[in-house]
Amino acid sequence: MDDKNRFAVVTVPTVAVIDEVRDEIEDVKTFYFSFEDKTVASNFVIKSGQFVMCTIFGSGEFAVSLPFSPQGEHPHLTVRKVGKVTSALHDLRPGDKIGIRGPFGNGFPFEEIQGKNVVFVAGGIGLIPLRSSIVHILQNRKDFGRVLLVYGARSSNILMYKKNIDEWRAVEGFENWVTIDVPEPGWDGEVGFVNLLVRKTDIPVENTVAFVCGPPVMFNSVIKELMNKGLKDDCIISTLERHMKCGIGKCQHCAIGRTLVCTDGPVYTYRQIKTLGEHI
Amino acid sequence: MAYLLAKDAVMGLLEAIGKEYALFGPVGHSASGDVFFERADEAGEIRLDAPIPSNPPKFAVFPQFEKIFAYRYDRETREARITPEDFVMPKALVGLRSCDLNGLICLDRFFLGQEYVDEVYRGHRSKMLLVTNTCVKPFPQCFCVCTDSGPSAKEGYDINLTDLGDFYLLETGSPKGERLASRLRLPASGPEELRLKERAVDASIGLFDDRAKENKAWISRVVNRVTTGFIRGEVWEHIGDQCFECGACSFVCPTCSCFNIEDVAADEGRSDRLRTWDSCSFEGYTRMAGDHNPRKPVEDRRNKRFFCKLSYSQSKKYLRPGCVGCGRCARVCPGDIGLPNVVTYIRREITKDSNGR
Repeated sequence: MDDKNRFAVVTVPTVAVIDEVRDEIEDVKTFYFSFEDKTVASNFVIKSGQFVMCTIFGSGEFAVSLPFSPQGEHPHLTVRKVGKVTSALHDLRPGDKIGIRGPFGNGFPFEEIQGKNVVFVAGGIGLIPLRSSIVHILQNRKDFGRVLLVYGARSSNILMYKKNIDEWRAVEGFENWVTIDVPEPGWDGEVGFVNLLVRKTDIPVENTVAFVCGPPVMFNSVIKELMNKGLKDDCIISTLERHMKCGIGKCQHCAIGRTLVCTDGPVYTYRQIKTLGEHI
Repeated sequence: MAYLLAKDAVMGLLEAIGKEYALFGPVGHSASGDVFFERADEAGEIRLDAPIPSNPPKFAVFPQFEKIFAYRYDRETREARITPEDFVMPKALVGLRSCDLNGLICLDRFFLGQEYVDEVYRGHRSKMLLVTNTCVKPFPQCFCVCTDSGPSAKEGYDINLTDLGDFYLLETGSPKGERLASRLRLPASGPEELRLKERAVDASIGLFDDRAKENKAWISRVVNRVTTGFIRGEVWEHIGDQCFECGACSFVCPTCSCFNIEDVAADEGRSDRLRTWDSCSFEGYTRMAGDHNPRKPVEDRRNKRFFCKLSYSQSKKYLRPGCVGCGRCARVCPGDIGLPNVVTYIRREITKDSNGR
């Protein structure tokens, strides 16, 4: 890349247009986007687990994980409305412009885990950063062993990507369990926290990696269950979230232990997380 | 090469530099008596004999507030237009103390030498001339002898000046410095003058404050403790209790470079993306949208700063310790927890341990 292009990717956002907006659950929407410049679009190559810095013009910028597969899916961001900038994004309609810098971060070790069983454990909107890997692995189903998704949310109306989950269930050999925290009328599936579901599910241990993502309480309890089942700490993989400003390892807001989440992460093994000496 | 520069020829050197570069150096403020490292309108304002300036020169490469680009977004036509800034301006930093030069070297290695090059920093740093000034006499706050960053610059300068009483020894450290010096047609220095400089530096080292001398041997052990994390929580709590969370230590530190990025509305339809200094001592530094904050108590944030200054892992990014011994944090800290005091507290804990308590 020449200097001018590098400046564009690293410091100055590239303009993208919103093609479509979809409602997911309350306060969560998915924004499909594309780059007007064809060269930029073809240079925008991502890995599952990476993130971008998204500019909402007139408001600011935030870090957001990439939920789409690197293999042929329409680029999109799934964002919950939590603060000033994400609220401004939620007000945008198809045809509006956003700015994108990136992709940044290490991404999930897709090549290293080929041939293994893959267990995804997600809580709430923790499914968003795992979506890219799930789709990518199902697109290459034959390269992996068993593929499982154990997913839980507080209630059925805040389960993410319900339509996607139904599609994935149609893929041969995709095993899926879903739970909600408390019983509700019309729900005949599992009830209880995700960690309890992990406990009673037949999860492979040998030659297996687990991807875990969710709120800190869920994360810690799920890790405990997986370790009890015999998974090793370097076979449990997660992606961390931190306040980020630059995305390129300079502003230092995302420093955790001796690492920076933006360049050393956001994907860490649990073995690494234990040495960081900080809360998740 | 080394040359002899008569004292009355110094102004000629500064003026020659000022023709090609915007001049920055120690400037005295007559009303307060303070010295600041700042832009000089003319060469005559720069005082080579001034005490160490109250602020480090980092603003010249990393300004406190800076627009990195502007953009317009038209809500009707939905067109976005981004206008990047140009950061390149030939600047000469003159009369840099060795500690500050080392601070700049840390920033260079951090901003230019990691996975990504910081293009804004690179713009500022290109076309820069560095003229250092040996400290033939340390100032009361100084402890660069503890952090291997003084009192005389060893690398990274274009020109280094050493006051040898009747004249300056002018050493060149780069082809750029050599070209400038050769244009002045100065007499070359002999081995005698170089020996004089060596003696002046040795004498300077002998003049450091007792605390700097006492702490010298302890720094490496403190680095070890900070890196391995074998420091009791009580020590950080004690330090945290004294912290006012004012961020002054970060702002006067030659190597602190954390920044915030914010979009600010400038006029109708235009916004500026600003990059501003930030400090890990502020509570909001790690707070995410939705109010989750992984670092809460002040002592948790304090030990992060000293991890940055003293740990081996951070030193790997700078290829030297993150502290350059300028003593400014100790001078400005209202809570008396400048870096030398923190070293003393950790040192006390180490000696307590070895007494078997």
